[in-house]
Order: sequence, then C-alpha cells, then structure tokens
Amino acid sequence: MTPKKFAYFAPASLKEAIQLLRVNEDAKVLAGGQSLIALMKLRLAAPAALVDITKTGDLLSYIREGKGHLEVGALTTHDTLERSKIINKKFPILSDAASKIGDQQIRNRGTIGGSCCHADPAADLPTALTALESEFVVRGVKGKRVIPQSKFFVDTFTTSIAKDEILTEIQIPHTPPKSGSAYIKHSRREGDFAIVGVGAVVTVGPKKVCRDVRVSLGAVASTPIRAKSAERHLKGKTLDEGNIAEAAERANEEADPPSDMHGSRQYRLDMIKVFARRALNLALSRAR
Amino acid sequence: MRLHKKGLSTLTKLVREEPALWMGHPLKRKEDRRLLTGLGKFVDDIKLPGMAYAAILRSPYAHARILGIDVSKAERLEGVVCTLVGEEVAKLTDPFLQISSPPANKLKDYCLAVGKVHFAGEPVAAVVAETRSTAEDALELIDAEYEAVDHVLDAKEALKPGAPVIHEEVGSNVVFRGKWDYGDINAAMKQADKVVKKTLHFHRFSSTPIENNAVLAQYDKATGFLNVYSNNQMPMFCIPWVSFALKFPSNRIRMVTGDVGGGFGTKIISYPYIVLISLLAMRSGRPVKWIETRTEHLSAANHGNERMFEVEIPVKNDGTILGLKVKAWDDCGAYTRYEPAGATIWAQVTPGCYRFKNFQMEFLQVMTSKCPVGPNRGYSRMQHLWMIERSVDIVARELGLDPTEVRLKNFIRPEEMPYVTPSGGVYDGGNYPESLSRVLKLIDYWRWRKEQVEERKKGRLIGIGISTILDSGTNNFGQVKITNPENPFSGNSEGARISIDGLGGIQVALGTSPQGQGHETFASQVVADEFGVSPDQVTVLMGFDSAVNPYSHQSGAYASRCAVMGTGALLGAAKKVKEKAAKIAAHVLKADPESIEFKEGHAVDRDSGRKIPLWQIGNIAWVNNVLLPEGMEPGLVAIHFWRPDFGLPDEKWRLNQTLTYSYQSHAAVIEMDPETGKFKILKYAIVDDCGKQINPMIVEGQVHGAAAHGIGAAMYENFEYDEDGQLKSSTLVDYLVPTALEVPDLVTESMETPSLFAPKGIKGVGEGGGTPISAIANAVEDALTPYGVEISDSHQNPQRIYELIVKKRKKM
Repeated sequence: MTPKKFAYFAPASLKEAIQLLRVNEDAKVLAGGQSLIALMKLRLAAPAALVDITKTGDLLSYIREGKGHLEVGALTTHDTLERSKIINKKFPILSDAASKIGDQQIRNRGTIGGSCCHADPAADLPTALTALESEFVVRGVKGKRVIPQSKFFVDTFTTSIAKDEILTEIQIPHTPPKSGSAYIKHSRREGDFAIVGVGAVVTVGPKKVCRDVRVSLGAVASTPIRAKSAERHLKGKTLDEGNIAEAAERANEEADPPSDMHGSRQYRLDMIKVFARRALNLALSRAR
Repeated sequence: MRLHKKGLSTLTKLVREEPALWMGHPLKRKEDRRLLTGLGKFVDDIKLPGMAYAAILRSPYAHARILGIDVSKAERLEGVVCTLVGEEVAKLTDPFLQISSPPANKLKDYCLAVGKVHFAGEPVAAVVAETRSTAEDALELIDAEYEAVDHVLDAKEALKPGAPVIHEEVGSNVVFRGKWDYGDINAAMKQADKVVKKTLHFHRFSSTPIENNAVLAQYDKATGFLNVYSNNQMPMFCIPWVSFALKFPSNRIRMVTGDVGGGFGTKIISYPYIVLISLLAMRSGRPVKWIETRTEHLSAANHGNERMFEVEIPVKNDGTILGLKVKAWDDCGAYTRYEPAGATIWAQVTPGCYRFKNFQMEFLQVMTSKCPVGPNRGYSRMQHLWMIERSVDIVARELGLDPTEVRLKNFIRPEEMPYVTPSGGVYDGGNYPESLSRVLKLIDYWRWRKEQVEERKKGRLIGIGISTILDSGTNNFGQVKITNPENPFSGNSEGARISIDGLGGIQVALGTSPQGQGHETFASQVVADEFGVSPDQVTVLMGFDSAVNPYSHQSGAYASRCAVMGTGALLGAAKKVKEKAAKIAAHVLKADPESIEFKEGHAVDRDSGRKIPLWQIGNIAWVNNVLLPEGMEPGLVAIHFWRPDFGLPDEKWRLNQTLTYSYQSHAAVIEMDPETGKFKILKYAIVDDCGKQINPMIVEGQVHGAAAHGIGAAMYENFEYDEDGQLKSSTLVDYLVPTALEVPDLVTESMETPSLFAPKGIKGVGEGGGTPISAIANAVEDALTPYGVEISDSHQNPQRIYELIVKKRKKM
C-alpha cells in the first residue's frame, strides 16, 4: 500500500522545524522513519504533514561526555550506538538493545530519538533507557526543557512531548564504579519485537553486596516499566545466584502484559522472571 | 561469412574449460547477471501507455452478508477511472470452473464476492485510478455494509450439524470424502504386538515469494486481444478458468510472464485476479496494473493445506510397521480454487519410504471461513509425509528403539526398485538406507547420541531428529479423476521449440514459465550437449509468451516438473532438428546422414572426418535453399511435445501419480531451552538424491531453499486466526519468515540414483517435501525426553513447548 497524501517539509533549522510543527495541524516529526513510514504505508497512521529533522543542519547525531552524564543526540542511529566504543564500555545495555533492533538496514536508519518518541512499549531502547534513568532534552518555542524518564513515557505510542517540541538529546547519568548493565530480550527471531525485554543495571558494593539495582521491563505494560519489587528485594543483599533468582521471581509483580500470537499474558509473566534473572546475572558479570 | 565463424569461436572461448558434457556441470546461472544487476523484467517493470492502477477493497469479516456497496463517493474522487463490485461481476462473468464432484462443484466462485463474503480479506470491490495512491484513497470512500453471520474456523467444527455453511449452494462444508483401502489393515491390527495411536495436526503456512502476485491486463480494441502480463506459474493451465469466466475466446487471450520472484505454488491460483484486472481493463478501456501488497498476499492469496490426523499404527515389537490406518481432516479454507486436488495428491507417496502394504485412509476435505488453500511447495504430500515421519518416531519411542533402527527396518530396499506402492505409485529408483546412513555420518549421529546423555546430566537438553522423505515430481493429472472422474485432465505434457537460424544461432523456447529456478540455464546445458556447442551459444527465451513459446495446457512451473518435462521436450525437438541438419550436412558432404555427429559447432562425418559448421547448415536451410536436398522443406526448426507414460486410476484409485520420486534425508541437532521453550539448531545435515543432476549448483540452491522454507514452517511461519476469523499474522512483523540469521549452516551431500523412467535419468527437485518440519519436530520431542513431552503439532511455537513442559513438570 501507499500512504495517504501528506505534506513534507525539510526545514533548514530546528527553530524552523518547531515553527512548522506549531502551524501545521497533525504534523509529525520524521527522523529515521523506520516505524512511522511503515505505519503510514499500512495507513494505520496518516499524519497531514511530516517535518523531516534530518536536514536541519543542527547536528543531532553525537555521543559525548556531559556533566555527570553521557549525551546522545536524538538522531544517533542504532548502528552507531551498537558500534560506539564509549557506549560499549560504559553502557553495554544500550549496545545490547541497539544490536537487537530489526535488521541492519533498519539499524542504519533508525534513531534513538525516533524510537523513544514512537514509544512502542515493546521497543528495545526505551526499555534500556528506563533502567538507566535517562533524561530527555526537548526543544520548543520557549526553549529547552528536560523530562525525566519517569515522566517521558505516558502510554502506548504516547510521550509527554508537546506537539511543537522536538526531542534533541538523551542524557544518561553515569553509573558509579563497579556497575554493570545488560539488556536481553525474548523474541522469536533475532530482530523481532520483544515478547519480553529486560534491562538491568547493577552496582556492586563491598563484599559483593548490591549497592544499587535497576530492572526495567519492555513489552509487558503500556510503557516500559521498572520491576521495583525485584529491585527492593535485591538491594543491600549479597549478589549471589540465590538472591538474584529470588529477586527475579518478583520481577513480574508490576507487569500487566498483553497477549498476542507470540506470547500470551501468562507466558510473558513467566518469561519476565527468566529474563530478569539472566539480565541481572549478565549485568553482574560485567560489573567492574 | 567469415565474421560468423569468428563470432562463434569467440563465444566458445568465453568458457575456459569445457567439460565433456554440460549436463552435470555446475554452470553459473544465465539469469543471474540480469537479476543481480537490477535488470530483471518483472510485471511491475512494465509500463504501457495510458496505464491505470487498480486497488481492491476487501472484506473485514470472516463471514457476512453484503447488504450494499456504495461506490458513488469513490467514483467522484478526482483521478478515479472506474469501479467494480461483485453484483456487476455476477452479470459480466460466469463462476469459475470447479473440479470437485457434485455437490461441491455447485460452489459459485467469482473474482469479487457476490452476496456474501466468506473469509476476512476476500475481495469485494475494486477501483481503477490514475495512480495507485488515488485508487487506495478511493477504497476508503466506498461504503460497504455487511451483516455478520456465524463463521467457522475449524474443519471438525465445520462438519457438525448446525455449523455455519460457507457456501449454501453446496449444502454443507464437505468438499470431498474418500476412502483408500489397500491390503488388510484389520488383519495387520490383529497381528500387531502393539497399536500406536496418535492425533496430529499440521499447521497452516505458505510460501513467501519475494514478489507478490501481479497482473497487468490490456484489452486491445483494434485486434480484439486480451493481453495479460502476470506472474502466474501455470499461465496456460488457467486459460479455461479465465476464458470461461470472462466468456472470452481462448485464441485471443495472450498470456505473458517475465522474470518472476518465486512462486512455490502460491501463484497457481491467481486466476481470480487475472479475471478481475481483465474486467477492469475492458471496463476502463485502459491497461490496468495491479500489484498485490504483502498483507494482501499473506491474508488472501494462498495458504497451504491445514490437516488433522488420527493415526493408528500396528507394529511388531522389533519395530516392523505392519500398516497405517489414518483419518484425515483437511481444512481448505473458503474456496476450492485448485482443490480438491490436494485431497488426492498425498497419495503420490502413500507409504512414504516404507514397505508396509496394509493401508487405510479416510480423507475428508472441509471448507472453513479462512483464506483458501492451494499448492504450496510440497503440496499435500508434505502434510502426509510429516504425519508418517512423526509416526515412525513415535513408534520408535513407544517401542524403546532408536528411530534410525525403525527406519532401516522398514525402508523399501534398493533391490526392490522400481517399487510399486499400495496405491499404485511406481518409485523410480533410490537407496533410502544409504541416504539415511550418509546423513547420520554427516551429522555424526552416534557421537551426538553419546553427547546427549552426557549433556543431560549437566542440565543441557540436546535433541536429534531424523527424517527421510520423498519429493515426488511431474504429476499425472489423472490423479484428479479420483475426486471427479469427469475431470478432463490426465497425464502431463510440455512443449519446446529449437531453431537454428540462417546464421547458425541456436534459439530455444520452452513452455515452462520459470519462477526463478534457472530454466534458461538448464535448457542451455541440455541443448548444448545435443549440438556439441557451449551453453553460451544457446539462447533460451526468458519468461513465457503464449504468442511466442510453444506450450501445452499443462505447461508451467509446478510439481517439480520442469527439468524432467523440459528435458523430455528439448530432447525431442533436438532430435528433429538434428535429423534434418544431418540430412543437409550429409547432402553437402556427400555422406550418409547416419554417420553425421554434432561436435564443437559442426556437423561431422564420422567416416571421413569432413565437417561443415552449423551456420552453414542454417544458411542452406533458410536462405540458400537451392542447395537443400531435393524435396526438403526449408527451415531448421522443430517443436516437440513430450509426455511421460501415465495411466488412469483403477477402481481402487490405484495409479502412478508422478513420474519421479526424489528423496532427501535430513538430520537436525537442536538445543532446547526448557525455561522458555525456545530452541536453536546446532547442526543440520541433508543428503538429497534427485537422480542425474543437470546443474549441481542449481540443485544445491534448491535443496538449501527448501530446507530454509521447511525450517521456517517448523519454527517461525504460522497463519493463526483469532476467534473472529481475523488473521493474526497478516504482515511480516508477525508472519515470521526465517532470515539468514535463523537458517543454520547446511551440510549437504548428494547421491545420484538415475531415474528408471525419466529422460537422462533426472528427477524433479526443489520442493524438498517439507523434510525439516518432521526432522525438527522429531528433534524437539527427542530433546524433551526427560520431560516425556509429546509433539503432535508441525509448528514448534516456543510458548506451546513451554506449556507442555510446565504441564509435565507439575506432574513430576
């Protein structure tokens, strides 16, 4: 199929892009287009206008050090994330997630900002960013504001970005030394949407005690969520197989998963436990 | 004239090392250069002057009455050329031919739904517009009103009294009911030490050709011709369906195909679309193009037959299988567009590779409110062979024997070839025990068996699955007389034309309408050997054009028939051309025509060693014909139609349903993750035997493709409907085709047991019989031995496996 008729704008600056979003009814930001165009082709989405932000001249593809956090430009592709040395070293959870998205062609064009704004609860990067307690920098007419992760994802396909705002950067707070992170997902094929996606960040204290832990879940609620009960259970305890397994048993308490042909609600609830345990163990093995 | 000699020798030099015979040589495919450089000619590459585009409105309901379809708003949209709805189709066309026997043949099938829709996705209206987007926009302006009625999604449910009837004119949902009974199954039951019983289910999936269906139709008012450019894979077989429905004379329908991005059977039943687009072309007075979308293809083109089995297998404690008693329910979806052919085609391979003589099959084919089925790589045999191969493993498990032992005990022996099966099939040679032992060696079976025991102690679940399956090819259309003796089809035939022009150029045209299998390459190899030239000197016309290519109404790419049937036709045409060329050469050389041989582009007199080049023979035949022998007709061209020796079914429905019986042994080693039900393939080995190979590289490609397709079916591809009759896997997000990451490295080996009946000893190849589906099912059950889980479904969905494990764990 072909999309419905739409207007296409390729503004020369972010400022102009924001203006276009303001004045055009039902306009959508186009980044890599790997979700939006597919939906438009099936006519499941039919925006009146697309505002392409890849030609603004404002460089939105970067990975750089900020103050106490790493800054990732919204137009950074999945492929760049997957291959970035700094990401692989500091936040392997993100390269794990990026490497499992779709196929190479999709990873070449798909962007971290696009994935977050699309807000598919089964998407990989939003789940990974949830475990990292990332912050989202958006720009609008009135300037810049920073949205914490907990306020960013509102519902399935819905974020708290206003109609005339553009996500420009994602800020990932640095983890303390002796931290490790991992993202793994259960899917039918390598690059499919997650049946269950789990992100884990662990910080090891003296005597292998869990100083901090964050577990995030994808594809099991209307947004990525945190498995708080599992986190509470593990925090302060020795990071051994038994405690991790016990915590993982609690990982599905906050989940409210849907059913589809690849996984029923019950199957997903069960798989959360398995993958939470595996993600925690992997994250722990990377903690240095 | 020297120029031409030079031309020929340059061409010959292109091939560095010429083998003694081109047959058997892994020649690179002639088609690949254009396909790999984007120069292929597909339907969507054709643009005719004034061409418009069609889009199709489809039913959102699985079963509903059509209360009204209002196209007025759509027709007012700027750029819309015309519309068409079912009511109009019922006036303009006749219902499609049906090959069932009464009452199922009363079914009324049109290219757009008339009165009622019978599955979600069924076409109900069409729009022609200046652009494809406008046509799709217009679909949204059509007001179609429905009244949903009860639907039925399960074959057994569809048989119950009071079940919704899909086609009232038929009176019930039954398409075909038949009983095959050979030997004495009751006596076998009495002799048995044990009767193994099992209920099995073969799931719905299909092929996913890279190119979907496509039709471009043009009605030429000047000549009265209907020109149809499509990718149908039996373009001349479907002429009666098209001609009768349109009430349009067959001798003015021109069917053209070009490059085709795969068919695998799914493009055989595209005739409703050919009729629909033709109607639109006639109505609009414009050439009309329609390119199917992937969602349309997945939800409404052609699914494979879904089948349920109740199996009883009488066995001896030593593993001897005494017979097979089966009840089968075949779910053919909402229409019978090639069915009930599938209700008999399984009987090409009634006993699989096994010797048992006692066999009973009660077969029921039933309609449901789902997408119609049709041929799909391994059509109907795949379901049957999966049931047999699964049963053999179940027998082994229940008797505590190794599955390879049970196979070896029951295989038909090589010395029994040609082997006549209980249903009259005549297996044309093969060595099944050797095939199995070779694949066991390839995969290192006994080492894995040891490793399996060791790994189990460490909590790792390794599973090993074996399957040996027949890949029957070149069907005898007489098989459809079983379901309806009135069907005017039997045997099989194919046409070829070979010409040597006045400059010595050899041109070949076939009726086989290739779908990407490399017909230009294999035909070049066969013809090159006949004339002692290189394949580069043989030009084979691409695609098919009924105004150009010779054809029979059985021409086409289906039933793994093209190498066998094409070669038969090519050899016949070559013989005719050579006989005439030899006479001309003998006349010039003053030699005996009997002593003329064709070598290195020349006709050579064996006795004197004197020779003349082919171009000179062509020159005499076409433009220098005063030099012809007295009384000889000018020209150097021959058409030959070839048919194998086939019969009709006897009163017990015994007949040889195919000419060749290739076979493959597959072995899979998997590792199961019992926590998730997901597994991965650790090693995969295949031994195939398709008789003498024309081009081993093409054969290997076919073996790989069929294996990938079977792995897809076993692990990923599944057409699942929800309660409302909506297809859940209607896009490639949910219909999971395996990618390069999912298909493991395949270790392959070939055997070459020549066919006892086919030309040059070749056998059809390419369908593969769905072997991985049973090899993997067997491996999964094997891996789960510690849990005692039984696998009764052909599709290994991780969730279902997990649930089976959980159920067993609870009991432990």
